[in-house]
Amino acid sequence: MSERRGGGFWGRLASNRLALAGLIVLVGLALAATFGPGLYGQSAVRLDYAAINSPPTAAHPLGTDSLGRDTLARLLLGLRVSLLVALYVEALNILLGVPLGLLAGYWGGAADFLVSRLADILFAFPGLLLAILVAAIFGPAVTERFGGIGRLLLVAGALSLVSWPLMARLVRSQTLVIREQEYVLAARAAGAGGGHILRQHLLPQIAGLVITSSTLNVAGVVVNEAVLSLLGLGIQPPDPSIGKMITDAIPYLERNALQVFLPSAALLLIVLAVSFLGDGLRDAFDPQTRR
Amino acid sequence: MLRLVLRRLASLPFVIVSVTFVTFIVGYLAPGDPILALMGNQRDPALYERLRDIYGLNRPWHEQYLSYLGGLLRGDFGLSYRFAQRPVLDLIRDGIGVSFALGLAALTLSVAVGVPAGIFAALRQNSAAERGLMALMLGLFAIPSFVLIPILQWANYQVYRAVGSALPAAGWGRPEHWVMPVLVLSAASLGYIARLTRANVLEVMRQDYVRTARAKGLRETRVRAAHILRNAALPIVTVIGPSVAFLVTGAFVVETLFAIPGVGFLSIQAVGQRDYPVIQGTTVLLALAVVAMNLVTDLLYMALDPRIRVDV
Repeated sequence: MSERRGGGFWGRLASNRLALAGLIVLVGLALAATFGPGLYGQSAVRLDYAAINSPPTAAHPLGTDSLGRDTLARLLLGLRVSLLVALYVEALNILLGVPLGLLAGYWGGAADFLVSRLADILFAFPGLLLAILVAAIFGPAVTERFGGIGRLLLVAGALSLVSWPLMARLVRSQTLVIREQEYVLAARAAGAGGGHILRQHLLPQIAGLVITSSTLNVAGVVVNEAVLSLLGLGIQPPDPSIGKMITDAIPYLERNALQVFLPSAALLLIVLAVSFLGDGLRDAFDPQTRR
Repeated sequence: MLRLVLRRLASLPFVIVSVTFVTFIVGYLAPGDPILALMGNQRDPALYERLRDIYGLNRPWHEQYLSYLGGLLRGDFGLSYRFAQRPVLDLIRDGIGVSFALGLAALTLSVAVGVPAGIFAALRQNSAAERGLMALMLGLFAIPSFVLIPILQWANYQVYRAVGSALPAAGWGRPEHWVMPVLVLSAASLGYIARLTRANVLEVMRQDYVRTARAKGLRETRVRAAHILRNAALPIVTVIGPSVAFLVTGAFVVETLFAIPGVGFLSIQAVGQRDYPVIQGTTVLLALAVVAMNLVTDLLYMALDPRIRVDV
């Protein structure tokens, strides 16, 4: 039986103030992204010609952009896009990276060779290059055929392409360590099959690692989605994206700096919250490495 | 040493084939018929066939890939779709120089500022100055370029309002056009190099030979110059490789937002025109540039320190 961590885990997490703050901010942002656009009710694409580049007013609490679109409405929808993309990317990373990493780490041999080479091939592209290539080439057709949702999924897929190999490598190296532990050898000697060892020993042990690294990875994904969108490869106008909001507002920086700094602040808030939460999760899952 | 170099070189074909093959397959699977798009309103079947022949699209995919690979070896990146049959290399040749110069300037600045900053922080460990400097470096490393750009431009505009002259907001050609892009492009690698240098110096300071040097009565300045810094300088070479990877992604954003005609900007323009061969060409070019840079870094490292065994 693996050790039950229940209360201990939550207790350790709750005692880390930064992590708790990160969690609360993230939950708040997720609620705002889910229910905010509906509750707020203003259109994110309606052009208000009477209020171009407007500062905050009663009608537009956070002002408007250069086309007179309401910034709060766009920010809420942009937040939804950022978090949805992050959710899809992490789901893909876990769906691809965890089974392949387990396969490579536990069975080794040809499976390990294939998975590791596949990861090497994808890693041969520096940074976002592969995601840029895929989004650039398939983007127009996907938007034509499947619209905004299709584009969002393509962006998530492209970003996952450059991050699931990391997850696979992480799971693989952890599996290699656990596989050689004495209790696993003992279980195998007692006649336990691969499935039993997987469920009882491997999965509970790597779950913490997977959750922690997925959380920390969200920071990079959110930034990368913004990069793709501001390069014109991600979310397409008139749908709002935080990255596109920033670049669209840069030419009007002198008159309306708020339109640049609000989305930037929202983005940095996500990145910070996720980083603090991720660090807290790591410490809570593995109290020995706590500093 | 020679064996290590050879093993490192032997892994090169794998990377080259991976990058070119994935890039080729993505382009091959690209939806839509590029020839029809190229012909516009023309509907002449004979012309269609001739164009397919010129672009090699009537051949099976493996032949297309092999001839693409063969072309790359000769420096031939294929033909553009948008600019009828102009070689891709023609279109991006000038961009390569611009991107390279920009990247080199950013890398030089990162090393020239990052290394002294890291050394200073390590020698002043646990001081307020160290904490402030390292927080700044973490900020530079973590802040996305597209957030840093508006901050700089806003500051630039405030200078303009106060003094009446300032840096250009975007563009290319005059020396002052370099300032902001280089600052933005170097930010992430600068923060990274400073933090790594600090860690290296701290590591060396804990070594026995440093204690011995102090114990035998050497003056502190000499201990620092001859023992600490000389040994800490070496591993810094290794971070140049990863830094170049930052620069590549950064180049897309910086070149696009500052309207600099480099490889990244040309590639993003080609996206709007659905000119897939140009996108593929720039992808392969940038990936190979990083591979080459990593190789140079490893070789330099091995040459500088014969004890080093770089994992291949």
